[in-house]
Amino acid sequence: MEAERTPLQILVVDDMLASRRALCALVAELGHVAVGADSGHAALALVQHQRPDLVLLDLLMPDMDGFEVTRRMRGLTADRWLPVIVTSSLQGEEHFIHALESGADDYLLRPVSAGLLQAKLRHYGRVLALQSRLSTLAQRQRDILDNILDPVLTLDARGLVAELNLAALALADRDGRTLATGMACEAVFDCTLPELLGRREVQLQRAGGGSFSAELGLSEWRDDARVQVTLVLRDLTERREVERMKDEFLATVSHELRTPLTSVLGALGLLAGGAAGALPAAALPLADVARRNGERLSRLIDDILDLTKLEGDRLVLHLRPQPLAPLLREALAANQGYAHQGGVTLVADGLDEAAPEARIDADRFLQIMANLLSNAIKHSPSGDTVRVSLAATSGGVRVSVRDCGPGIDPRFRARMFEKFSQADGTDRRAQGGTGLGLYITRMLVERMGGRISADAVVGAGAAFSVVFTAAATAPRGDAP
Amino acid sequence: MSDLRRVMCVEDDADIRMILEFSLGTVGGYEVRCCAGGRSALQQAPEFRPDLVLLDVMMPDLSGPETLAALRELPVMQGVPVVFMTAKAMPDELEQLLQHGATGLIVKPFDPMTLPTDIRPYWEHGRGRPAA
Repeated sequence: MEAERTPLQILVVDDMLASRRALCALVAELGHVAVGADSGHAALALVQHQRPDLVLLDLLMPDMDGFEVTRRMRGLTADRWLPVIVTSSLQGEEHFIHALESGADDYLLRPVSAGLLQAKLRHYGRVLALQSRLSTLAQRQRDILDNILDPVLTLDARGLVAELNLAALALADRDGRTLATGMACEAVFDCTLPELLGRREVQLQRAGGGSFSAELGLSEWRDDARVQVTLVLRDLTERREVERMKDEFLATVSHELRTPLTSVLGALGLLAGGAAGALPAAALPLADVARRNGERLSRLIDDILDLTKLEGDRLVLHLRPQPLAPLLREALAANQGYAHQGGVTLVADGLDEAAPEARIDADRFLQIMANLLSNAIKHSPSGDTVRVSLAATSGGVRVSVRDCGPGIDPRFRARMFEKFSQADGTDRRAQGGTGLGLYITRMLVERMGGRISADAVVGAGAAFSVVFTAAATAPRGDAP
Repeated sequence: MSDLRRVMCVEDDADIRMILEFSLGTVGGYEVRCCAGGRSALQQAPEFRPDLVLLDVMMPDLSGPETLAALRELPVMQGVPVVFMTAKAMPDELEQLLQHGATGLIVKPFDPMTLPTDIRPYWEHGRGRPAA
């Protein structure tokens, strides 16, 4: 660590040549560099051009006295601290007090004592070294902040911009003014600070015009009990473009996969259906194996496409309040064929009672029901019943699907809503599932603001419940 | 136009054209005309006078929606249901497709044994209607 800054460059201001020379010689003897000035005006010019570390200033000079020189020096060195030590042979302390009040830092009686000067210069050397370290550190922090490519803003508790980095200067408020300290949260983000705290994404204006979406990173912290909020704003334009390309790629891939599958499944369906003449009895199960697996491949493509969109949070949902009963009837009708194949009866309860509406996406709700119903049917022995019920709960709507199958293995329950999880490997092969159904179902339910849960005892069937919050209905006086 | 007899299929994939011939012709008993693209469909429609058109969406040269718009201009196609066939599956994409004015949508892969009956409702409900 640097103990003191040696040598110091010291400006010696004195109109008397002899005493200036003597003081310069003393300064040099103490190991520092002296620069002489014979007047207040000359001193002020040198302060600007030589940037001395310290000034030894004679109080009594003809052109401008030391008090005035001190005042003017302070004006010239607003960006740094320049210690000024006034010297005088005048007796009494009033003029020294006056000098300190004018902005001087210290005083020395003339003739200047070598020992005292040495001690004072060592002291100021230490303070200057500390100050230089602090400003280096502050500059380094500033450089780090300014070299962050994302705009970084700090708002105070009132929601005013307290600090901003270089990148934030490329932004403008809603009136097109370049961002500056003191601007209000509302002017920049179009919302209050408490509202902003709940957001993850904001729309920002560029100083050059135009706007963009940005991801909002928020850190709340305290500076002496005063709350500060630092915001890191990440431009999402590029990420959105990558996501768009990824979606396009996925759509193309799924199209390209489905096209040959259409021919494969079509040809197999026609063969198995006897469109090309009756197949030998031994060939029928083979055609069936090929067809079933082709269909499974087709479901996997659908599921993976859904999964990618769900996980990337890019699935477009068309949410609107609607009654669930008609949709449930549609879901039951759509799965009747599969139930019939498996010898399973579908029974519905509560579809005629007026249940509250829920804010959902109809197509995706049908997909949820198709998943739950096909699961229930798949796990039901022939001759069994799958019950679907719709009921109002406090503030919500509950849809349940219950089967009388073998139930859910407790070891599987913990991970049943995860990706690629199935009760066991043999199940996957025997039943032709993809292992994604319940995961996608859960994601869809949650994206619509609902919750899914399973309730099962081994050997006593499985029940899946989906609960959606009731849509806020128009005031009719009967809302709970 | 008392019954659904002539079905035109517009599909660029030759294998799928063969499946459609088999499905709609051999199994369904319709008179089937397969075209490999939109231009050929536009040429053949006035002479074939289809009762219903099955139209692939993603085709090089002329896309399904473009072919649909051009077909709608033909006098012979007034009130003839046009059903899209697509390998796209996202509901929002399907909804967008229907906004082009098709009568309905068949998603690939389709079941070739039931396709002949699956297209009937589109003919029953869609025929005679002006283009959307």
